[in-house]
Amino acid sequence: MTELSKIRNFSIIAHIDHGKSTLADRLLEECNAISQREMESQILDSMDLERERGITIKATAVQLSYTADDGETYALNLIDTPGHVDFNYEVSRSLAACEGAVLVVDASQGVEAQTLANTYLAIDAGLEVLPVINKIDLPSARPAEVKAEVEDIIGIPAEDSPEISAKNGINIHSVLEMIVKDVPAPAGDREAPVQALIFDSQYDSYRGVIVYTRVKQGTLRPGMDIKMMATGAQYKIVEVGTMSPKGLMPREALGAGEVGYVTASIKTVADTQVGDTITAASNPASEPLPGYRQVQPMVYSGVYPADGAKYQDLRDALEKLKLNDASMTYEPESSIALGFGFRCGFLGLLHMEIIQERLEREYNLDLITTAPNVVYRITKTDGTVLMVDNPLDYPDPADIALAEEPFVKVSLIAPQEYVGNIMELATGRRGEFKDMVYLDASRVELHYDMPLNEIIYDFFDALKSRTRGYGSLDYEFLGYRQSKLVKLDILLNGDVVDALSFILFSDNAYARARKICEKLKDNIPRAQFEIPIQAAVGGKIIARETIKAVRKDVLAKCYGGDITRKKKLLEKQKEGKKRMRTFGTVSVPSEAFMAVLKLDED
Amino acid sequence: MALFTTNNRKTPLGIYVHVPFCKSKCLYCDFYSRCNQDERAKDGYLRAVCAHIREAGPLAPGYRVDTIYFGGGTPSYFGADGLATILTEIRRSFDVAGEAEITFEANPESVSDTMLKRLRAEGFNRVSLGIQCDDDEILQRIGRVHTFAQAVDAFQRIRNAGFRNVSVDLMYGLPGQSLVMWQDTLENVLKLRPEHISCYGLTLYPGTSMYDLKDRIALASDDAQADMYLSAVDILQRYGYHQYEISNFSKTGKRSKHNLKYWTGGEYLGFGPSAASDFAGKRFKVISHLNGYIRGIQEGGQILEEVEEIPFRERAGEYLMLRLRTTYGISKAEYEKKYLLDFAPLQQVLEQNQRYGLVRFVNDRWQLTPEGFLVSNRIIEDLQLAQEHSESFARRR
Repeated sequence: MTELSKIRNFSIIAHIDHGKSTLADRLLEECNAISQREMESQILDSMDLERERGITIKATAVQLSYTADDGETYALNLIDTPGHVDFNYEVSRSLAACEGAVLVVDASQGVEAQTLANTYLAIDAGLEVLPVINKIDLPSARPAEVKAEVEDIIGIPAEDSPEISAKNGINIHSVLEMIVKDVPAPAGDREAPVQALIFDSQYDSYRGVIVYTRVKQGTLRPGMDIKMMATGAQYKIVEVGTMSPKGLMPREALGAGEVGYVTASIKTVADTQVGDTITAASNPASEPLPGYRQVQPMVYSGVYPADGAKYQDLRDALEKLKLNDASMTYEPESSIALGFGFRCGFLGLLHMEIIQERLEREYNLDLITTAPNVVYRITKTDGTVLMVDNPLDYPDPADIALAEEPFVKVSLIAPQEYVGNIMELATGRRGEFKDMVYLDASRVELHYDMPLNEIIYDFFDALKSRTRGYGSLDYEFLGYRQSKLVKLDILLNGDVVDALSFILFSDNAYARARKICEKLKDNIPRAQFEIPIQAAVGGKIIARETIKAVRKDVLAKCYGGDITRKKKLLEKQKEGKKRMRTFGTVSVPSEAFMAVLKLDED
Repeated sequence: MALFTTNNRKTPLGIYVHVPFCKSKCLYCDFYSRCNQDERAKDGYLRAVCAHIREAGPLAPGYRVDTIYFGGGTPSYFGADGLATILTEIRRSFDVAGEAEITFEANPESVSDTMLKRLRAEGFNRVSLGIQCDDDEILQRIGRVHTFAQAVDAFQRIRNAGFRNVSVDLMYGLPGQSLVMWQDTLENVLKLRPEHISCYGLTLYPGTSMYDLKDRIALASDDAQADMYLSAVDILQRYGYHQYEISNFSKTGKRSKHNLKYWTGGEYLGFGPSAASDFAGKRFKVISHLNGYIRGIQEGGQILEEVEEIPFRERAGEYLMLRLRTTYGISKAEYEKKYLLDFAPLQQVLEQNQRYGLVRFVNDRWQLTPEGFLVSNRIIEDLQLAQEHSESFARRR
């Protein structure tokens, strides 16, 4: 075990693209943890998807051995955190495993909403926040101004913050020295009853779940019987160790103050929830570490295989993903239109996109997803309360006494010239303006109370396009508020397509119905007959489009030699149709489902 | 006991001979043919095709040939002697019925009284004449090397030579052709009183000159082509030509027996480069290469490019695809008996299309209407997709 005074536990906070992963790479390099040759760019983000999007989805941790200018060798535990609002809770747990946080701020762009939100989380968790000004080599860099901004907005000293370029390896050494000097060494009693915080876990098919943990009190050793204090699950430890950049390094014990992993032949990550406390079964701690909560999905969507025969494959894939992601939920559901699929719950839109993309990429599935929706709270006239996460379960309007939808507190930061655009956007999305704060001479932060439903469609894209990419967004759950809701049905050739139904604010029904009809018209191929597309609320048609009939699709000549060719032609056209879903008489390609999810594009 | 000769039990067979020579290539044509070939090439072809026929004859002992069709290319351009030689070889190698339908294709610029009389005497009894259009400017635009007057003249000569069964090929949707011009073509051709008319909508096939030019010529829109087609069906019907296939119309009793084999699952053997066969459960095609064909026959090399054995289930799909090209259509009883498959899923699709006037149910049979023929690819696809889900009676038993 490493002496407490020689341990530093820290994380890096940064806005997307501000250089968090690149800085992490440099720190590893500087500590000779990994050779240039072994260095695959951005080693912490090991998922393909993370690398492509430049964001961290799963938290990861790594231990560096650093010999500082004072001649001592320190164990630096870098705990990487996810950088997106969907994963706020995970971020808070990762931060709870640290004593300090390096705040990376882009020298030209300054402080962003995302950074701010995570910085406040870190300050609230009692962490020492150490600003670093990155990308100082860019011509647009304004380090002095940005430092002033950090001091003004966040209220932490930044005067002596290292000015670095992670990309070009400038001043990396000063960051390491700052960590050793300014991040407090952990405290804790290694003889006390065990309290170890789970900040992440990962399923491995050979070892079972690998639990990433920060030991707060006591010591974990192989052979020890442990208990998860929230879930009650009990296991016997097989192995403990630390995470080196090259893989897991078994150790004899993990003591208070240390960050490492535990394996115990655990079958499912559901037993090792982020934020839970590991204790010894025989000599348990009197209470768990604070801050644990059960994660609740905020956004639901139907996920169906494009090819109905792949239902079982989709089930297997979801099961495997769930092994690694306790925050996702899924339950079988069926739709008249789409057949058998799953109702999946996600933390937010990004989480949803990530899961869908992983299903498609890693499990080679073609998916049809239905419009995402939030969970509505419906009080019926007989007094029963329903939580509706599926439009198909929406009760008859006559039976509804009170309809409520979730509201969130939204914080938006952008250069001041976009304030008008943002206000227009937020008001259009039923945002209730709260206040506006000037962060500095040129940037403002706006606060709105807004229905979550208005954010989950395409709000982030709309914000980006109205602020030329400078706008940033953060939100947190406020509670349920009364609302006027309706269920919108879409009819193709007279038949309701249940998978296209959704619940929305009644004042938005007309505009959205028109847009959906237009989108469907553009995305449903013509047939040999005219196809009316209608949108209806409670049986009343409120929008309509018509897809003109194809009049000519024929092979004029078909004699002996043409038969094989004609067969191939029909085969090809049939393949296209097979990828579509047939509703009554109409074939609908999966793109049509995707198109209605992105209504704000034009 | 003449009543019980084995001939009565023989299976009918069609023979197709592909004659791959033309005076010049029409710009829209994607059939295999060669221009500017010397006598040696023609001679080599003649010997090869005759040898091919001779080899095949013994392989079809239980068959009696009831249709022979010389297509191309331009058989009339190849000349009477060659056609007669091939026909003689067929008669020598196969059992050809006395009443067999024997057709050759002709173009207006390559018929003469002598050759017509000779071919009539040899036993040819049907001619398919390529007229296409009555507008000389358009004819020139699509690469035809004759005028409409020449076509009328050729038709008269064919009649004079004693042919009582003459078919005329026409095309619509040609560049620069309006609906009225197309109706004029029909009126002018009807004056000739042919027994049979084929009307083909212009289709651009990759590899043809016209395909390469497609962005630079004024082509009829799908809607315009559809209007021309429906107008042809209507006019021809009024003049007593019954539609019996998507593109084919005839006076009563004058349907092309040979071509009907293609759509009703009849067996046929093809000779000459690019000729296709459907024989004894297999479908195969000769390579589209004149010299390769000649060499293959001479030296015993490979001359087939595609051989497929058609599984039973696929035949059921072909039944839909081919039968529905004809006004004969399909029937539940026939389908269930032949393929042991449940007709119900098909019935559902048919009824859907019936609601839009694309399909009709007449005398216990389902057939496409003219509007339905125009979108037949769509309807056939839907039926074949439904067929994939239909239950087999064979398995249920």
